[in-house]
Parts: sequence; structure tokens; C-alpha cells
Amino acid sequence: MPRTPFALWPIVALAAFLPACDRQPPPPAPASRPAATPPELGDVMTNALGMKLAYVPPGELVMGSPLAEPGRHDDEAQHGVVLTRGFWIGVTEVTQAQWNAVMAPAGTDAEPNDLPVVRVKWGQAVAFCRTLSERDGNQYRLPTEAEWEHACRAGTTGPFAGAADEVAWHMDNSDEALHAVAGKKPNAWGLYDMHGNAAEWCADRYGPYAPGEAVDPTGPAEGTYRVVRGGSFGHFSRACRSAARASYNPAYGLRRVGFRIVMEQPPAASAR
Amino acid sequence: MPHSTTATLARRDLLKGAAAAATFSIVAPSAVRGSAANSKIALGVIGCGGRGNWVSNLFKQHGGYQITACGDYFADRVESYGKKFGVPAAQRYTGLTNHAKLLAGAKVDAVAVESPPYFHPVQAAAAVEAGKHVFVAKPVAVDVPGCLTIGEAGKKASAKKLVFLVDFQTRADKFYQEAIKRVHNGDIGRLINGTAFYFCGPIMAGQNSPADAEGKLRKWVLNKTLSGDIITEQNIHCLDVLAWIADADPISAVGTCGQRIRKGDQTTSDFFNLVFEFPRGLAASFASRQCGKGPGGIFCTMYGTSGAVETQYGGTVKVYGNAPYPGGQTGSIFRDGCVNNIATFHKSITEGVTHNPTVAASVRSNLTTILGRDAAYTGRKVAWDDMMKAKTKVQADLTGLKA
Repeated sequence: MPRTPFALWPIVALAAFLPACDRQPPPPAPASRPAATPPELGDVMTNALGMKLAYVPPGELVMGSPLAEPGRHDDEAQHGVVLTRGFWIGVTEVTQAQWNAVMAPAGTDAEPNDLPVVRVKWGQAVAFCRTLSERDGNQYRLPTEAEWEHACRAGTTGPFAGAADEVAWHMDNSDEALHAVAGKKPNAWGLYDMHGNAAEWCADRYGPYAPGEAVDPTGPAEGTYRVVRGGSFGHFSRACRSAARASYNPAYGLRRVGFRIVMEQPPAASAR
Repeated sequence: MPHSTTATLARRDLLKGAAAAATFSIVAPSAVRGSAANSKIALGVIGCGGRGNWVSNLFKQHGGYQITACGDYFADRVESYGKKFGVPAAQRYTGLTNHAKLLAGAKVDAVAVESPPYFHPVQAAAAVEAGKHVFVAKPVAVDVPGCLTIGEAGKKASAKKLVFLVDFQTRADKFYQEAIKRVHNGDIGRLINGTAFYFCGPIMAGQNSPADAEGKLRKWVLNKTLSGDIITEQNIHCLDVLAWIADADPISAVGTCGQRIRKGDQTTSDFFNLVFEFPRGLAASFASRQCGKGPGGIFCTMYGTSGAVETQYGGTVKVYGNAPYPGGQTGSIFRDGCVNNIATFHKSITEGVTHNPTVAASVRSNLTTILGRDAAYTGRKVAWDDMMKAKTKVQADLTGLKA
């Protein structure tokens, strides 16, 4: 499957902020559809840094896993979730090159590599989103846990959005090392490495799911640990399942944990 | 540029509008108690000795149970228990078949099996046959056939929409759960080796196990046939954690055991020392004593390729290594674990949650203790497969006991 089969749909507002970014790649490609057209599932945009983000429209999912799913843990209680807002999510995990382009001190030689950035504390991942937002004017943040699972599942209901070994680098097929992003098959929405490679920080605090159905859930109000999803090269495949939940102390920068970004739907697009 | 077919189909399914009503296919399990969901669960307690009294206090404190029946071999225990917990005289049952009389004669929704371990399989299985929810103390059995009976009873309970819960405190503790979940996810890498031990002083120190049948039954914890010996009756707490962490049946065990302190008719061992072999090259040593003085505790520490997990019953539970987890203290686990299980039992009954996840795990742990016991008794390496094939029955001599 080609790496970028989807429409390139630049955010017009992005252009106004391009001068603020001093290590940016060339401006995005020209618009391929009229600006008045609302984004659709399958749309992919490229931001000023060259990061590709796929659009996920409002929708609903059954979050969690059925009792019979092999490898499940007790914290995966199935419940319905409605996401009322569309969002753009990174097609890949943030790479070390992208991290350096945004966060490295001026003058640092960026090493252009496509490995996911890891050893990033939760607060540093948030800071990356903030700095990137300041640079190009869009609002970037970490995905909520529900957004993450919705994007990971891409409409599937099983343990993996594909065959585990085809979509995930996990402990038993990775040589226990990070791999360049997008080395495995993407899911149906064009997202790579949702399962495995680097595990990914989410915005939510970790805790049991609230009982019943949820609308735009953002996790518990209190708690020390932050949610980490997707598993990694250092996790067994059971921890890389769509519903598998992990949590780590946000103050830890772990060799197996990175992140991917979400961009809020720009107001201009929302209004259309 | 056209959208892909996949994307278009998915979009059709997904875009139902921002305020679309949810149309999820999952349905909450129907409350098995229907309109009586808020009423108390009528509970019969089988076994009115020390554990039966202690656990009944916790059932009472929960608030969701009404103890309406009780049974024990001994009339004095039943009378004392009945008065203490307000069980009507007509709902108190005695003799070896007290459980059968209770199941036939008492109006109960559920039973708690707190009798000597030797009787657990027949009593728990009978309760399931009678359509009752079952809460059973560890160990679930003293031999392989008993473990298999419990396993089948658990499956039958699920088929009949009944709850069957085995009361292990560690498995209800949040720090144990989280630490072992992390191990299973790979946070300490591939398991290499470790150790589990259970060191404590003697139970019923200085007491003899009488020679007569009723005396033996009253002091069953000193009798290896009725209790399963200390490895199954007590040490199961740390071998359960070991089996839980290993997440697999052991392949074999080899080791020894012996009596140095106990005398006369006390048939239980004073100590065990064993090595268990698990799949994927995992090796674990185990040691226990129920004699003497000195440092004690219930510990399990396992090492992996990138970290370790440490569990102390009543102490620290923690994960070390590349993805550490500071865990916490489990100081009041003896009581809290049981309280949690009693709450889970109630919730599972009222909400109709009957997949009964504790059964298979408890049977595996119980069988692990029996494997170690067989190896220690014979002084030979015993393979799991051979043990399961042999299905050796432990037979108590109940001659002289009243039905």
C-alpha cells in the first residue's frame, strides 16, 4: 500500500504562520479541494514541519475489549464512547528528527532519522505540542485515550487493526529495538505504528473507566499516572492490542514510550 | 484526489452527526436478581470454624448479605455461630453432609464454603448443582481430582449464570494486580528466574492432633489429608503469586520436605524446599517453613531480562528496571483482600457477571502446590503432565464420623 494514498489538504491558515518556524520544510502542496469543503475521513494534511496528519471525523466506538479477548486485562471494560469533534492525528509517531526540529536548541545539528522519539516525559510531550502550536498557529495536543483507541481501531472491533505481526513491532518480532516509523502496514485510516514500535503518551490520567457510556471522555480528574497506549518493541503483543491500557509515571522518560500528536480541527474548517 | 474506498465506507459508518445517539452493540448484563437487585443476598455459610466466623463478620459488614443458614460438622460450632449471626435454629445444619442438608433445606441465593479444604470440591460442586452462587476459600482442593472438580464446577456455574469466586487476597489487591499486569505486558522483559518463599512459625503450636476421627477433623489444619499439607493449605499464597506471574502451568518440580518439630499425630510437614521449571526456560525456587522462629513473610521476586518484580504479602509490591513501577504497601491485605472479594462477589451477582475469572487461575495455583508436594513427598522430579495423567486421589479416613 502506498505511503500517502490520501488527499493532501493543507490548512490555509498555516501559511500565515510559516515565517515563525525557522527549520520548516517547504510549504505544503497547494489545495487539492475547495477550501469550503469540510474535511473527511481519508484526508491527510501536511503541516509546516512536514508532519502528516489524517482526519478522523466525529464518531462513536465501543471502547475496551470483550471478556473473551485473549490477553485482556481487567481494566478494559467495554463501554460506548461518542466523540463529537473531529480531529487530525499524526500518521506516524513523532520522530526524533521532528523532535529535534522543534525542541532542540538553536544550532543543534538535527539528526534526520525516522525512529520514533522516546525517553520523552509526559510534560515534554505536552511542551512539544505547545511549542509546535506557537510555531504554526494550529492547536496541537496529545490525543485523549478515547481518541487514541478510536484512531487505532479505525473501525475494527478485534484485538488488532490487522494481523499483529503485520501492523506492529512488538517484543517477539522487533529484536527488542525501535524501528523507523511506518515500517509496518497502516491501519484502515492510514495510521502507522498505532500498535507497537513506541508506546504513546495520551493526555488522560489513568484510572478505571467511568461506568456507562461516555461523550468526549478525558479521563479521571485526579491521579498520578498518565495513560500510555499501543505497546512497543519492548512489550509483548498482548500489550499492543487496541484496547490494552498501560500507565506510567509522567516524570519518567522511558526507552519504550514516545507519542503522536493531535491537531484540533481548525475553526475555519469546523465552520464549513 | 479521490478518497480511498476504505475511507469512504468507514466515513459512511462513522459520520452520524456530532450529537448522534449512541448505537452500541454491547448490552449491560441483565441483573440476575431483577427487581430484587437492591435486596440482600441470602447467604448460607458452610464451615463455622475460625475462618467461617471471621469471613462472616466481613459479609455482615458489607451490608448486602443476610446470613440465613449455616452448616458445620460440629453441633457446638453451628449453635455458637447461629446465635452470633442470628441464623434461625431450623436453618442450622450439622454432620458430614451438612452442606447437602443446607442446600436442600435452606432458602439461600449463595453459599460461602469455609470448611476444611478436603471438602471444598464436593461442597462447591453441590452448590452449583443446586443453583447457588459460590464463594470458596483457598485452597480449592487437596488433590488433582478435586481441582478438576472445581474447574468443572466453575464452568458449569458460568453456563448456569452463577457466580463462582475463589477468595485469594492477593488477586484482589490493586498493587499486585498492577505490578503483575506490567510483568505480563513485558515491563521486565522475558522472565528468567526468581524465588518464592513463605516462612512462619507453627500453627496451633503445642497442640496435638487427636487420634479419634472427630478430634482430627476439629484440628484439621494439623492433618495433611484434610488440609492438603502446609504447601497447599498455607504456602499457596506465594505459589499462587508465582504461578500468576509465570502465567503458565509449571513443567516440573523437584525438592524435599520434612518434619523436625511436629510430632505424634500431626501429619503436616514443617518445611518444603523445591525448584519449579516453567515454560520458556523460567526457573523458580521455593522454600517454606511452618516451624521455628526468626524472620518470616510471604515473598515472591522474579527477574526478567530488563527488570524485576518484588511482592511481599503485607509489604512492598514493586517493579524495577527499564519501566519501573513504585507500587505501594499492602499492609492490610489479609483483611482488605477478602473485603474486596466479598464486594466483587456481591457486584457480580447483582450485575450478572458470571465469567468467573478466579476459577481457572486458582485451579492452576492449587495444582502447582500439589505438583510441589508430590515431588517433595517422593524425592523425585515430578512432571506436570504425569501428575495430571495420574489424577491421584487423596483419601481421608472418615470412619466414625456422623453423616
